[in-house]
Amino acid sequence: MTHVIQVTDLVILAYFLGLNSFYALLLVLSIPEIWEQTRLAEDEDFQRLMQSDALPPITILVPAHNESATIETSVTAILTLEYRSFEVVVVNDGSKDDTLERLRHAFELYEVPRTYPEGIATKRVRAVYRSRTRTRLLVIDKENGGKADSLNAAINASRFPLVIAVDADTLIEPDALLRLTRPFLLSSKIAAVGGTVRVANGCTVGDGRVTDARVPRRFLPGVQVVEYLRAFLFGRLGWNRLGGSLVISGAFGLFRKEYLLAIGGYRVASVVEDLDLVVRLHRYLRQRRVPYEIPFIPDPVAWTEVPESGRILSRQRERWHRGLIAAMWLYKSMLFNPRYGPVGLIAMPFFTFGEALAPLIEVLGYVITIAGLALGHVNVAFALLFVLVAWGYGMLLSLWAVVLEEASFRRYGRVGDLARLLLYATLENFGYRQRTVWWRLKAFFTVWKHRQVWGEMTRKGFKSTGKQVV
Amino acid sequence: MTSRQFLIVVAAAQGVLLIALIILIILNRWVRLRRRAKVHPRRVALDAVMQRWTLNQAGAADVLRALARLPVPLAIDALVTWSARVAGERWQELSHALEHQWWARVVRANSRSARWWKRLESARFLSVAATSHDIGRVLRLLRDHHPAVQIAAATTLERVVSPVLVTAALDQLPFLGPTVQAYYASVLKRARPAVLRHLQQLFRRLNDPRLPRIIEFAGRLQEPVLREPFTTLATHADPEVRTQVARALGRFPHAESVAALGFLVQDEAWPIRAQATRSLGMIADPATLPLVRDALRDVEWWVRLRAGLALTRFGGAGRNVLLEAEVSAHAEARDMARLVLGLSPQALAEYAA
Repeated sequence: MTHVIQVTDLVILAYFLGLNSFYALLLVLSIPEIWEQTRLAEDEDFQRLMQSDALPPITILVPAHNESATIETSVTAILTLEYRSFEVVVVNDGSKDDTLERLRHAFELYEVPRTYPEGIATKRVRAVYRSRTRTRLLVIDKENGGKADSLNAAINASRFPLVIAVDADTLIEPDALLRLTRPFLLSSKIAAVGGTVRVANGCTVGDGRVTDARVPRRFLPGVQVVEYLRAFLFGRLGWNRLGGSLVISGAFGLFRKEYLLAIGGYRVASVVEDLDLVVRLHRYLRQRRVPYEIPFIPDPVAWTEVPESGRILSRQRERWHRGLIAAMWLYKSMLFNPRYGPVGLIAMPFFTFGEALAPLIEVLGYVITIAGLALGHVNVAFALLFVLVAWGYGMLLSLWAVVLEEASFRRYGRVGDLARLLLYATLENFGYRQRTVWWRLKAFFTVWKHRQVWGEMTRKGFKSTGKQVV
Repeated sequence: MTSRQFLIVVAAAQGVLLIALIILIILNRWVRLRRRAKVHPRRVALDAVMQRWTLNQAGAADVLRALARLPVPLAIDALVTWSARVAGERWQELSHALEHQWWARVVRANSRSARWWKRLESARFLSVAATSHDIGRVLRLLRDHHPAVQIAAATTLERVVSPVLVTAALDQLPFLGPTVQAYYASVLKRARPAVLRHLQQLFRRLNDPRLPRIIEFAGRLQEPVLREPFTTLATHADPEVRTQVARALGRFPHAESVAALGFLVQDEAWPIRAQATRSLGMIADPATLPLVRDALRDVEWWVRLRAGLALTRFGGAGRNVLLEAEVSAHAEARDMARLVLGLSPQALAEYAA
């Protein structure tokens, strides 16, 4: 028994060291990346170029399912984005509420014949509408088929070479599209670009725009601000340098349409369609030896409402993790496969062993430590020291994300907000982290539920000018 | 070292790092606030001096003094901002005066820096303050591998007229993305005579793989002397060349353009047919109406869309063709006609763009 505990302890320690060394590498790589990206974001010549007529036109895909509370505000905000040439395709995915009626009333929709070719098979499209007041708007009403199916229907109807998927509950900053196209101007090899998603809870929202960024006072949404900063500002920036980012947020990512059509669009059976899409994109482009890049850039920002209740957050995290496990299993042939370059050799192993299996290892660590303590095989001081180091490292990573935010974009200007960020970064490891581990662990038992569903989220809606989203 | 000792070292290091990070965050805020408080009045003072200088109430020496008091990136920003407001000759005086400033010499020397943001800073400075002595530097920056540097360097062509720079910029064109190309086109328009001379030479290189991009750029210039080479290239073996020719000819309403488009609209490659149909709509010669009507029945959706939109530019005759198609037996032409007839004028304009 002692031997088993000692060996398991060693394995866990080695895993802990390996994983944290990799995080440290990401952390180091994120420094030059954010430095360069901030420089480019501030370049005035670029800003002038971005105001020219020559920008590539973009289709914004907005899937909507029971989004009655926010749809009008969201679509209005999207239609007033600062960009020369774009169209908005809203897909009503068989909503049971009055999403379509709200759209019809707000934008004076009229039915038009459906003439575009169906590049990707989708559930039956009931009708296609254009707006009398907003010529850039196209609305598709279709039978319920899930988010991926809606996005595929929107891709079919899109006219432009670049498409961006935006959640109906997401608020995009006015200049975010301009910024998001920057990599497409810099390089002809870009297959897709991801932008930053931030937490809208607690912020002041006016006319579909975040006018005052605040860190929520409540712990649960507040700690998610730190999580999002960590995930976007150092995780994904670090991956830029390693050439193998696997995640472009489904709420905010710009793709070259020809590649989406080539891979058959979003996979309807997938639980987390954005991760699945990016992995397939890598696979397709690598197999065909197409030179490509899928970068993340931090300055284009979209704001999203995050769950405020533990119940809904747990479902969200369980679903995300279920999607991660399913995707890693489905594309296991890419794992350690040199044919897929850094994606097969670095990203897939990291996401499989460092992300997907992490809750199992962490729980195993807790169990072994407790068992070892109970049986007297583990020294109490050593166990406490180990936990302290593990949690301290988590705090360091979170604080580093706050440093990057402060050194670059500084969205949270008030001292009170900064203090709350520091507080949440410190407290995250005491209770919250363990809860997320439990939620993610549950995904291992539900992973075989393949059916794609819309993530359940109780929306409070973005109120009009001067009101806070609470 | 035992694993326990190792963990103690790690924990101690983490503790120090945690405290250091928190201090760093707080210090960063404090330094920024202090710097802003220090620099902002200097920027305001510079704006005031610049204002007086443009009104001949202050000398260039005052401006140079105010510029030298600012951090270099902010001084360059100020120069870029003010360069758009001051007349050319007067600005040239300032550019020449800047040649002797120590900080401007450092920025110029940065055109050889290994760090791209230093080169970008240099290119931005030269885009508004380059003199004839800087041609070599700008040439190097135009050939830089970083697109941001290239773009900034290309802006220099708005102020410095040099055939050498124009040739270098044109040679770079095929390697640039479409948007950056379009930006170059807007910049190079000012140096039109030199550009046209070099373009006509490039058009003679029929087997040059850069030809499609050169044609795409030349089309943007809408220069009548380029129409003839375009029509000659309508029978080129490379489909990409023919596509660009089909697109460009729409900007040249001429009998020879129409004849070439009549040929291209029957090409076997659908992108060429789509572009040719669009161009026929732009020229809207009534004699080509039957060709566009046939394109409305094309097997390719994009060609039908282009034909439908092109017909709206033929006035009443085009509308009649669409109305006929709306009740015809050809299902695909019928659907397209319905779609196009249902579009509002603004939507039509957006589709056509």
